[in-house]
Amino acid sequence: MPNIQEILGSAAAIAKGMSVTLREMVSPAVTEGYPDEPPRLQERFRGTHILERDENGLEKCVACFLCAAACPSNCIYIEAAENTETTRISGADRYAKVYNIDYSRCIFCGYCVEACPTDAIVHGHGFETASYNTSSLIYRKEQLLRPVKT
Amino acid sequence: MANVKLTIDGKTVEAPANTLLIEAARRAGIEIPAFCYYEGLALQAACRMCLVEVEKAPKLMTACTLPVAEGMVVRTNTPQVAQARKSMLEFVLTNHPLDCPVCDKGGECELQDMVFRYGAGESRFLEVKQHVDEREWSPVVFYDRPRCILCFRCVRICAEGMGVAALGVVNRGASSEIAPNRGDHLECDECGMCIDICPVGALTSGTYRYRTRPWEMQHVGTICTHCADGCKTTLGIRNNRIHRGNNRDRSGVNGEFLCIKGRYAGDFAHHEERLLTPLVRSQDGFKPVSWAEAIKTVAGRFAEIRQRGGKFGVIGSNHTTNEENYYLQKLARTGLGTNNIDHHRTGDVLSLLRARVPLATTADLYHSKAVLIVGVDLAQQHSFLAYQIRANWRHHQARVYTVRRGPVREDKIAARIVSVEPGGELAGVETLRDDLAKEPELVILFGDAIQGEAVARLTEFGSSLGIPVKYVCLVDYSNSRGAVEMGVLPAEGGMTLPEMMAAGDLDALWVVGANPLRRHALAGKPFLVVQDLFLTETAQAADVVLPAASAYEKSGTVTNVCGEVQRLQKAFETPGTKTDLEIFGLIAREMGLDLKQLGPWTPSAVFAEIARTVPGYDLPVEVLEAGGAVQAGPSDGLPDAVWAPVQSAGDTLFTSGTLGRYSKMLNAVREAPGELYRA
Repeated sequence: MPNIQEILGSAAAIAKGMSVTLREMVSPAVTEGYPDEPPRLQERFRGTHILERDENGLEKCVACFLCAAACPSNCIYIEAAENTETTRISGADRYAKVYNIDYSRCIFCGYCVEACPTDAIVHGHGFETASYNTSSLIYRKEQLLRPVKT
Repeated sequence: MANVKLTIDGKTVEAPANTLLIEAARRAGIEIPAFCYYEGLALQAACRMCLVEVEKAPKLMTACTLPVAEGMVVRTNTPQVAQARKSMLEFVLTNHPLDCPVCDKGGECELQDMVFRYGAGESRFLEVKQHVDEREWSPVVFYDRPRCILCFRCVRICAEGMGVAALGVVNRGASSEIAPNRGDHLECDECGMCIDICPVGALTSGTYRYRTRPWEMQHVGTICTHCADGCKTTLGIRNNRIHRGNNRDRSGVNGEFLCIKGRYAGDFAHHEERLLTPLVRSQDGFKPVSWAEAIKTVAGRFAEIRQRGGKFGVIGSNHTTNEENYYLQKLARTGLGTNNIDHHRTGDVLSLLRARVPLATTADLYHSKAVLIVGVDLAQQHSFLAYQIRANWRHHQARVYTVRRGPVREDKIAARIVSVEPGGELAGVETLRDDLAKEPELVILFGDAIQGEAVARLTEFGSSLGIPVKYVCLVDYSNSRGAVEMGVLPAEGGMTLPEMMAAGDLDALWVVGANPLRRHALAGKPFLVVQDLFLTETAQAADVVLPAASAYEKSGTVTNVCGEVQRLQKAFETPGTKTDLEIFGLIAREMGLDLKQLGPWTPSAVFAEIARTVPGYDLPVEVLEAGGAVQAGPSDGLPDAVWAPVQSAGDTLFTSGTLGRYSKMLNAVREAPGELYRA
């Protein structure tokens, strides 16, 4: 036959446990509503890249290929071209005529961002890149560029 | 000269007296950094990077101008020297823009390397750097003044190496800059030596600038396909495209030398008029067909003509490899049963081989005590050979003799010049007899002015001098010499090229990489098969046109003007084309010929057969595979071959037969097309 002390001890344990449960019940939830609501990402989250523009709206990328050289998975492909007097794409002598990132290879390590001498490439917060078609995972410059502010 | 002993960084070093300290240290494995010092060029002592401590000298000395002396004690690793280097680099960087990410030299820049190794981490200068816009001096050469560190390498290579002196220095001190010879533009050889020798990105080329970066390309060392000098050019390939050619590793017979053709005229391979699909003539012009159909058409007609005992003619190429030439002549002789095989002969190699005299190598031109140039504008037609002779004159005070029809660049360095009328070359040479007989040795170079009987008389003249004489028979195009030695020549009553064109009764004419219709009219209406890169005059008249790969798109060997055999390396592919060797093989197979007897159509297998059967070609494969050059041994002089008159194509620095017509860079420069004997 259980003695009174055991009964009280069990009741106290239940009360302690329930107190945690009840406290968590009324405190705000840590889980996120994604996909019903947008995810809350850390500022330094490394998502799909963005090619930045300078204050004049010109592309910051000067096609130096350092991101491609730094990339451990070899997913960046660039073709350079020269700015002319009539068409100016970037602030420097040359610009990236083609800039592709193959997201079927990218490992989001951030080396490209670190290598960039003009801060042209940064990590955005995009991550919903899944696709049934791998060829659509090669993002072109037009998809990567920061939209021009209007 | 006697050796002296000195101490560098505590290491005892022995070097010949008069060696420069920088060279002695380099040979002992101690690096002394320098920008302006350049092996083989005049001393400048402009950059002050090579300052070293020499015991008993009151201040730091420039190692690039200091000859070694007995008992000299040198230190290159003291804090004072390190400080001097750091300060010199700081000065160099006062106005040098840090635009390495866009600079073409980024990644292979000597200044970048030096700053990483010896420079300060940051600059103390706060002043704004002066910007000057880049200038276009020619379609080839662009000058970016702020990047220039005034080492004057470009000025010296142009004046001393090329003998052109198109670049100079204007203004003084901090406002000094390099200036072109025509005020705002350049008129020169457009060789690009200045661009490649520039340690920074001050001089950039119109072909390569802002296109890609050095580490993005594959670097393929192959042999230039333009003239016969056989320069090695290292092609920068990205995306099946040539982005540049240079030879900074100084491998190959030419060292770092290349002319405009080797550096920038590879663009013909990407010309939009390049043939990419076989064409067969139908009632209403050419019809593009598949390779299988084209080969079937050709092989069917060939087999049918062969069966009824028809007459074939085969015209080989000056551009195809030795393997292709060999296979073609074998296929013609055994498969088609004809001896009517020839190529456009540009120099009388045949007579020279028959004279059985010693033949010079390109290195002999640099080392021989005396050189005689007969009847050719060497600087225009054989710029590498001219460069060798010029270097020989500068470094070894070689005595140069010219016998020519008009002024040539070699006149400037000539001990004696003999002006002759066309045809008077041999008589001109005779007037030099007394001078030449006094020389310890001699190399004689001759062009198409000396041919046939005259070659025999020239070699007799050489032998009568009583000194060792070596010869070079100048030919045009990358493998004319190989075409002769591989037997792309008629034998035993076979017809020569002009005879084939004039015959009128040929049933089939097979033209490989040649354009005979430019010089000759074709009599008769043979079944005309043409293998070429472009729709040339001959191809336009053809019944079947087969698109061939260029020399940059295939493997094999070529023989240069001095008989040096070198290996081609396949650099890229142009989809739709096939190598000539593969086309021969496919036609032979489709014709049902004895393939066992013809042998496999791979370059290495054919070369193995050449080594066995062609006299003088039993060459060490390892040396060739490693990118070296070997002079083919004494040939048997092709006793069966039919002699025919030769004619040089007369190409200048800016023309290169058919290929030159399709090179945009060659045609873009102001100097094009250039002329001979203009000096």
